[in-house]
Amino acid sequence: MGKKRRGPSLDELMARPWCYYCERDFDDLKILTLHQKAKHFKCDKCGRRLNTAGGLSVHMSQVHKEQLTEIENALPNRAGLDVEIFGMEGVPEDVLLAHQQRVAAQFHQAEAERQAATGNPPAGSGMGGQPAKKPKLEDMSEMKRRLAEHRAKKAEAGTGGSSREATPASSGPTAPPAPQFVPKADNAYGQTPAASAPVPPQQYSYPQPYGGAPAAPYQQVASPVYQTFSPASGQQFPGAAPYPPAGYPPQMPAYPPTPGYGASPFPQQPTSTESTPPPRPGSIPAPSGLPQRPHFGAPAVNAQQMQQMHMGHAVPPAQGHGNGDANQTTGQVISSVNDLISGAAKDAAEKPTKKEKSKATRMIYLHDTISPEEKMSQLPRYAVARPQFPEHTVLGNGPDAAVVGTIRDSDTVLDPAH
Amino acid sequence: MSSNQFTVASPPTDAISALKFSPDPNSTRIVVSSWDKNVYLYDLRDENGTVGEGKLLQKFEHRAPVLDVCFGDNENEIYTAGLDWDVRKIDLNTSEQTVLSSHEAGVRNVVYSPEHKLIISGSWDSTLHVHRPDAGTNSAPAIIPLPSKPFSISLTATKLVVAMASRSLHIYDLKALALLTAQADSESLDGNKVEIEPWQRRESSLKFMTRCVACMPDDAGYASSSIEGRVAVEWFDPSPESQARKYAFKCHRQTAEDGVDVVYPVNALAFHPVHGTFASGGGDGVVALWDGIAKRRIRQYQKYPSSVAAVGFSGNGKYLAIGVSPGFEDGQDDVPEGVVKIFVRELGETEAKGKGAK
Repeated sequence: MGKKRRGPSLDELMARPWCYYCERDFDDLKILTLHQKAKHFKCDKCGRRLNTAGGLSVHMSQVHKEQLTEIENALPNRAGLDVEIFGMEGVPEDVLLAHQQRVAAQFHQAEAERQAATGNPPAGSGMGGQPAKKPKLEDMSEMKRRLAEHRAKKAEAGTGGSSREATPASSGPTAPPAPQFVPKADNAYGQTPAASAPVPPQQYSYPQPYGGAPAAPYQQVASPVYQTFSPASGQQFPGAAPYPPAGYPPQMPAYPPTPGYGASPFPQQPTSTESTPPPRPGSIPAPSGLPQRPHFGAPAVNAQQMQQMHMGHAVPPAQGHGNGDANQTTGQVISSVNDLISGAAKDAAEKPTKKEKSKATRMIYLHDTISPEEKMSQLPRYAVARPQFPEHTVLGNGPDAAVVGTIRDSDTVLDPAH
Repeated sequence: MSSNQFTVASPPTDAISALKFSPDPNSTRIVVSSWDKNVYLYDLRDENGTVGEGKLLQKFEHRAPVLDVCFGDNENEIYTAGLDWDVRKIDLNTSEQTVLSSHEAGVRNVVYSPEHKLIISGSWDSTLHVHRPDAGTNSAPAIIPLPSKPFSISLTATKLVVAMASRSLHIYDLKALALLTAQADSESLDGNKVEIEPWQRRESSLKFMTRCVACMPDDAGYASSSIEGRVAVEWFDPSPESQARKYAFKCHRQTAEDGVDVVYPVNALAFHPVHGTFASGGGDGVVALWDGIAKRRIRQYQKYPSSVAAVGFSGNGKYLAIGVSPGFEDGQDDVPEGVVKIFVRELGETEAKGKGAK
């Protein structure tokens, strides 16, 4: 399933027309002008709606012999008649700028809050080429503390090769974005520093440019992945890597980092065995020479199937082992590719159905012979202190059956229509 | 413009079943029947004659929930119908209640024809009772058997439209009805069953249960609505040309987040007495004004807090009253305090006027 869009992007927010008088924003200019006519330019004497404050003023003085002194329903400092507003026209430059700033500030704040509250990556992440809107950056010392903690934990568990130990060390100084993948994805660390090193300035600046550092998409893509799949074993990675591209095919151009990306998960997989050397920590995220698992995932697949694939991977117990594992995965991948193909075919077949579905309706009340009132009258609280009318008379309508038939027919007509 | 809309003070405590303005053009009286077993009489004007809050003049308690109410010959008499199976006449001046007849099941509708001086009630016992108030209070009503339960009835100066279960619809000629019932009345005092052939039998043009019918004030046709968010407009004239003009349209639907259309029942229809346009009120809490001739929507008002149970225009067409009550159709167990409301809209001069064809 595609990622749910959580909200409008800042661009969209910025582009929304808004009312000078009350700072409300609207879907489009037409609605704004309607709003202004109804709320601010309406004559309180006769209800006539004028187009502008000037128009209202003239109307008031000519028709009602009254002087318009202030705009109704306006913010205290905006009630003046000195500016001529129509829709977005006439809004003074400084007010416009202030509004934009406020929108941006609100947006960032909401973003930060949501991230803090949900731990989700910033909106638009996973949308590939889009760099983080405002990645939540951990403070350096906090980073290090957690790192230490994490390492201690690792050491305690007695897992983790030397290479992994090294990884965090080098990554420590740079700030990886979403904190939520820090604990699990030590491997990503290895990549992150190099990848994100050039990024930070960009992360701070406001994020229009999407083309930018290839690293950025990588990070973002990574976080949802970790988030989604980290509870399972390391095994999910081969699948995980292709996941974001699959979900977001339009992003293909952002792929340069993919090789490194695809590779990075791989080493994680053989955590316990050291058979496959993990990439050197801190190395430039050049594509490692490892098998290109992402290729398997490349076909555009819907997320559900992807997940199925992942599940398939995760389940087999004998997965910790290098070569066998690779073979096994290949086998699985082949089968899942088959699944994908058939799934895609199914999808294609389903499409018209979906369209049909959009016409589907849900009725609030549906009965052939009992009207809502009659149904309501049968409620105990409306019971009348006289003998209830015998059931059979209520239902005893001969022709009903025929009607039921007709209605069913009409339903079945809808169904095979796809 | 919210400024010309207000809520009526002291609304019913349970769901609203019907709401009618006095047909008198100069009157601002509204009667409202409710599931709380009461019929409420409001006047939009206060003592000084200015229209404001609207105040409760009187309240008439019944034995059971009241399902319908209508004004009689003048604005001092009303007729009510309800779950106590009775059709009553209430004199507003004396508060005297007279039971006109008793059905064998809940009575869903009651209408009054000022032209023929007939009170017609429709009950879930699949009969219509026709009462002639001028025949004396002792005369029993004529009983007209119907093929199914009537769900909604509406009349014009000459016709009576009865929408029933099984999507059937009968149109009676009121004149014939009046004659026959008078005859039946004189023949047998217990005014037994009258077999009367409807002027027209029709099948509803809507696929689902008819929810409401309302006749055009110019006696040309009627609109009907179904539980499946649709309204049909049809003409009485049986000529093929007129019948070809009939049409139906979808309304009162909302697209849910999952792309599924949620279809609400269209609970109420009411024609504007002057412009001939009509209002529809749906389970979605929306009231829309339509031009049935030009096939256009004139306007749609902002959503009301819950399902619209009834709509009605005042006799002069200046006001639109909207009865809002929750969970009408899902048989909710509780009606929370303060959700049953009566909104009254003061209509601008052209607010309910058709715009003319495209």
